[in-house]
Amino acid sequence: MNNNYALLWEKFIDALIYKNGYKKVLEGLFNTAQIAVVGLLIGIVIGTFIAIIRVMPKYKVLPRILDKICGCYVELFRGTPMMVQLLIGYNVLLPILGISVDSGLPVAIIVFGLNSGAYVSEIMRSGINSVDHGQMEAGRAMGLTYATTMLKIVIPQAVKNILPTLGNEFIVLVKETSITGYVATIDLTRAFTKLGSDSMSYVIPYLMLGVAYLVIVLLISWGVRSLEKRLKKSER
Amino acid sequence: MEKKLVLSVKNLKKTFNNLEVLKGVDLDVYEGDVVAIVGPSGCGKSTFLRCLNCLEDPTGGSILFNGEDLADMKVDINVHRQKIGMVFQQFNLFNNLTVLQNITLAPITIAKKKRSKLKNKNFFIKIANLFKGKDNKKPLYDLGKSIAQIKQEAENKAMELLKTIGLEDKANSYPSQISGGQKQRVAIVRALAMEPDVMLFDEPTSALDPEMVGEVLNVMTTLAKEGMTMIVVTHEMGFAKEVANRVIFIDEGIIVEEAEPKEFFTNPKNPRLKDFLSKVLV
Repeated sequence: MNNNYALLWEKFIDALIYKNGYKKVLEGLFNTAQIAVVGLLIGIVIGTFIAIIRVMPKYKVLPRILDKICGCYVELFRGTPMMVQLLIGYNVLLPILGISVDSGLPVAIIVFGLNSGAYVSEIMRSGINSVDHGQMEAGRAMGLTYATTMLKIVIPQAVKNILPTLGNEFIVLVKETSITGYVATIDLTRAFTKLGSDSMSYVIPYLMLGVAYLVIVLLISWGVRSLEKRLKKSER
Repeated sequence: MEKKLVLSVKNLKKTFNNLEVLKGVDLDVYEGDVVAIVGPSGCGKSTFLRCLNCLEDPTGGSILFNGEDLADMKVDINVHRQKIGMVFQQFNLFNNLTVLQNITLAPITIAKKKRSKLKNKNFFIKIANLFKGKDNKKPLYDLGKSIAQIKQEAENKAMELLKTIGLEDKANSYPSQISGGQKQRVAIVRALAMEPDVMLFDEPTSALDPEMVGEVLNVMTTLAKEGMTMIVVTHEMGFAKEVANRVIFIDEGIIVEEAEPKEFFTNPKNPRLKDFLSKVLV
């Protein structure tokens, strides 16, 4: 038995190092990072925008219509699995739009961005609601516009409040990238699967894959925690 | 000598979902007036004050300020709010900004906006000028100060104002690092930085510890002596008696009695005011 694992390990090292498997792994790591980071950034922009629309006072018709549209968007992206969104994006929308791509990476980034936009909008909305209403009133009373007060006063405080939840969303995104292999993207999971098929055994590659995700996630949560501490310092 | 009319309120009404809070309030405020508004809790005095700068949109009546009716929804309220300073019960300093930034934010933002508007206009004039003869080119607007100058001037002014309340060493502190009384004094200075024509105070000392009330009232008294027009909703009868030149008693959404402080406190006419004063002046 012992011998067996030693053999498997040898095969894995062989595939990883001598057969240039590490190049695939690095590419996968880079793509995973790219999808998660760019996806989150798109998500934050979309989410903030939607959140502002949804908390806006609704005396007029236009904000009400926008609110309904945003509501539909959020329900649509939260109500279907990300996997399905990816498959529809890649296999349905691309052919309809007549676009051909050699890699699903751009599709994955856009889908991840749109999907996390829906979640971040809800996170951001709770963050905005957590900021005392007096902050908005004080800004408006001095003649600042709703938008200026929102962007310079309320949102910065809201972000501070929701930072842990936002970090959580980032972690979810990183882990979800493991499904992008289904749309012709070489992510971390796909890279390790390739190592497995190259070395004719999936035992070590998949164990290592798990370790890799765990390390990444631990690093992120450590980063978010220290960022949180630093932001708190400016207040006390 | 005729005094200049700053704010003229006519028949102001406000209802919240069928609850009539203000039932037609009339008030003329002249330059240099210090008007104290007193009344039992829930009588609508805070609502009245908040209607004056449209933090609550009035449901009826008119508020004339600088020749325009603020109750009219078509008026750009932001422009007028710049000239109406407001101080809140809960201070409402911006928690994410330092004391200095709290004071300079509005002046800088608004000056910058004006400048960039002129800049945009100039851009279109320049394009239009390309198609005009040499002699009838339209002149460009003068942009005035540069952004760096705007910032520098706002900061200098903020520091000067902070010096008047003795808090210049707190300029780079955050609101959470200073006491309640200091916060409220900064809030007053923040409103002053916009050079308002009138200042509204919404129970400025009610959220303060007793030993901090004095420092805030001192700042307000100085302000009144310098000739600032002030409308103050307050429970501090001492302040109303000493500093105000008119005291107003609001009850159940209408002004029940208005008089000079001496008359108001020594010779109240309305029975409800008599009752109120007997309770607060113990």
